[in-house]
Amino acid sequence: MNAIVEVRNVTKEYHGIPAVKNVSFTLYRGEIHALLGENGAGKSTLTKMIAGVVQATSGEVWIDGVKAEMTSPSQALNLGIAMVYQETSLVPSLTVAQNIYLIDDKRFHRLRGIYIAGQQFLQSLNFHVDPTALVSSLGAGQKQMVEIARAVHHNAQVIIFDEPTATLTPEEKHQFFSLVARLKQRGVSIIFISHALEEALTVADRITVLRDGQHVVTDVASAFDRDSIVRAMVGRTLTNELYGSREARRIRPAGSKVLSVQNLSMGNLVRNTSFSVFSGQVTGVFGLIGSGRTETAKVIAGVLKRDFFHGGQVRLDGRSVRYRVPRPAVRDGIVYVTEDRKLEGFFETMSIAENIYLGAMAAEQLKCTTVNMSEMRAIAKEWISTVNIKAINADARVIELSGGNQQKVVISKAVVQKPRLIMFDEPTRGVDVGAITEIHQVIDQLADQGIAVMVISSYLPEILQISDRILVCRQGRIVEEFDADRADEETVMYAAVH
Amino acid sequence: MIASISRAIDRILGRGEAAVTLPALDGALRPNRALDEADWRRPLPGVDCIAVHKGSLVVSAGQTVYRLAAGGAWESIGSYEASVSCIAPVDADSLAVALHEGAILIQGGRFDGRRYKIGSAKCITAMAASGEELYVANGSASNGPDEWQTDLMQCNASGSIWRLNLETGVETRLADGLAWPAGIAIAGSDVVFSESWRHRIVRVVSGGPRETEVLYADLPGYPGRLSSFGDGWWLAVFAPRSQLVEFILREPAYRERMMAEVPQPFWVAPKLRSGRSYYEPLQGGAVKHLGLLKPWAPAMSRGMCVWLDASFQPRSSLQSRADGNTHGITSIIDHAGETIAVSRGDNVVVGLRSPALGLGSSA
Repeated sequence: MNAIVEVRNVTKEYHGIPAVKNVSFTLYRGEIHALLGENGAGKSTLTKMIAGVVQATSGEVWIDGVKAEMTSPSQALNLGIAMVYQETSLVPSLTVAQNIYLIDDKRFHRLRGIYIAGQQFLQSLNFHVDPTALVSSLGAGQKQMVEIARAVHHNAQVIIFDEPTATLTPEEKHQFFSLVARLKQRGVSIIFISHALEEALTVADRITVLRDGQHVVTDVASAFDRDSIVRAMVGRTLTNELYGSREARRIRPAGSKVLSVQNLSMGNLVRNTSFSVFSGQVTGVFGLIGSGRTETAKVIAGVLKRDFFHGGQVRLDGRSVRYRVPRPAVRDGIVYVTEDRKLEGFFETMSIAENIYLGAMAAEQLKCTTVNMSEMRAIAKEWISTVNIKAINADARVIELSGGNQQKVVISKAVVQKPRLIMFDEPTRGVDVGAITEIHQVIDQLADQGIAVMVISSYLPEILQISDRILVCRQGRIVEEFDADRADEETVMYAAVH
Repeated sequence: MIASISRAIDRILGRGEAAVTLPALDGALRPNRALDEADWRRPLPGVDCIAVHKGSLVVSAGQTVYRLAAGGAWESIGSYEASVSCIAPVDADSLAVALHEGAILIQGGRFDGRRYKIGSAKCITAMAASGEELYVANGSASNGPDEWQTDLMQCNASGSIWRLNLETGVETRLADGLAWPAGIAIAGSDVVFSESWRHRIVRVVSGGPRETEVLYADLPGYPGRLSSFGDGWWLAVFAPRSQLVEFILREPAYRERMMAEVPQPFWVAPKLRSGRSYYEPLQGGAVKHLGLLKPWAPAMSRGMCVWLDASFQPRSSLQSRADGNTHGITSIIDHAGETIAVSRGDNVVVGLRSPALGLGSSA
């Protein structure tokens, strides 16, 4: 077999922090190659380098025996490499057919022509999607199909699928795997990123496992079983260096039940999930991307709405609550600290003081309803010293801060609301090592004060280190609970992927 | 006004308080097999209630009260004209025995041989004594102790709590309109009882006539008898709640027809022991996989005892899962460093080391 893609010793650094370190990877012609690893293992970064989305800091990418210098995805597409993203890159205001034919060479398209051609093309792939439908009206599974159709339409020789099945129903998954088999028969090479190990074991010819940005193992799929993959994914040695020893920690007992989620459902993402969160304790929620943790937290906080019928129940201190918007949730003491701080966490052009003050205003804890500058400065000063925000002064704009300090502002903005229940979603994502420790200290202090704390994280060492109780989420529901002192990486990961 | 409209809409859409949902079995209530793995098991058909009398374990079964003899055999210490509905120690020497027709008999001690009858009470589910006062839970005004499934399916709330002075025979009603009070305990100067069909533990506020305060609500099962354990309490949960039963309870027409036309063993209702007949509802894929009962199946019976702390918050639990063999726990006590539970569903008394000594808190 000859290699169609060869990656030689590539490294990719973001602000000096390596996401991928000295990785070599080979994709043979006509093979399906599964790329596995925990969240943050470097899978997406590696494939984005192959697809021209990001450029390697060092190392080389060879396509079909020729060294490639790709600076954009369109160059990669011209070389026959297409990537289907987990978060779709379709234009929501265009129709399905318009999206498929969007970057064709033709300057003008006749609408009727692309609808007819689109219909035929989608039918040839056995995709039941209306080519005249607006993409914004499609479900997650159908959007994924359109993404795949677009890649196939461009006659890509290499297609990279990033978590293609995370949002698909079982029937859609079956269709997807049939399509992958047909693509393989046509000689297309496929890189397949997935957290579903059984899918990788069933579909892939070869499997590569990455961990902490480094290559761990590559072998034929038949040489692996679930246990050996899980071991390769989590067997890390850096854990204690960053997070300290777990033995040194005291596990807090549960207080009263603050939150009781009962049979909560939201579309395909949250499926009849039930769990409780207790005061004075950190409840860690571990799961792989797409397991429905964020959506569950957002439904609790009123950011998203549960299903209209049979959507389940959320009880706060024994009282059934249903928030249509976040504001009443905040008034009741529920705070959600977002995983996407730039989009949802802060106002980037406003100062640190203004952002924190907005949190206090949202909780309606201030004496007056108008902005009181001296009160705003006093609150900001207090929180800058409490969480150790490194900035010139409280008037510094948040956009000018580092990721860790931005996250501290977001946390201050949440904690200033004096919550009963606080839900952190990936609190240390994109945060430097020093800030991680400080953020963990803040979380610990909140639990010590008797607040019910829920921490969602995809990074197992973090969950194991800060949680008093660990819940594991898989396919939209909580499937397992562990005492923090009895959990280890392998058992938690096993529960998350089986 | 808006709240009542909102509640009406919730009832139509099955949302809010009208949602057919169950609390999770997590935290202190995380599933385990502690009851199935008990240190010892003593079978006794019809066993129901347990107490400590004169330093020995005594249990009621049918019309008889038995003592656990030194060799582990059951030895009869009294037989009665009707089935015994519950027993409770009055002091170190005397035992109160309640019968199905509502009479309360005292055996031993100062009040030996006395017989009491509280109003029209004929469903005495639990008793607790404090000095000369005997506190009595009457499960229902219209159904007997063995008709608890009927009472649940009728959505009855006619139970009451009474105080009986053993010296004078004066009875006082402390609370009524209760949905099957099945357990009672004296916590300091307060009377605490479990209210099964409302899945909660309630305190009778002392001084305030007929006022109650909810101590813990939304249990995932139907709470039964209470007993003291260290500075906390044991609570027997005699049957689990299930979404199917919760749904049935919101469908009066279905329930009435089911009670009229279907034999009681096959009702869609919680049971002390289920899974013995293939005529029972909830068979097939919901409970079995490749012919084996799933431990996590939403069965109609289960074994569960909850250790509550002094403020009646769950700290830990002893359980028998759907595929276990210690279901329908109707009574539990702590005695001589052991926790002894009565499984009426499986007709067995089980004993294991007390959690404080061995199991610890899983919360």
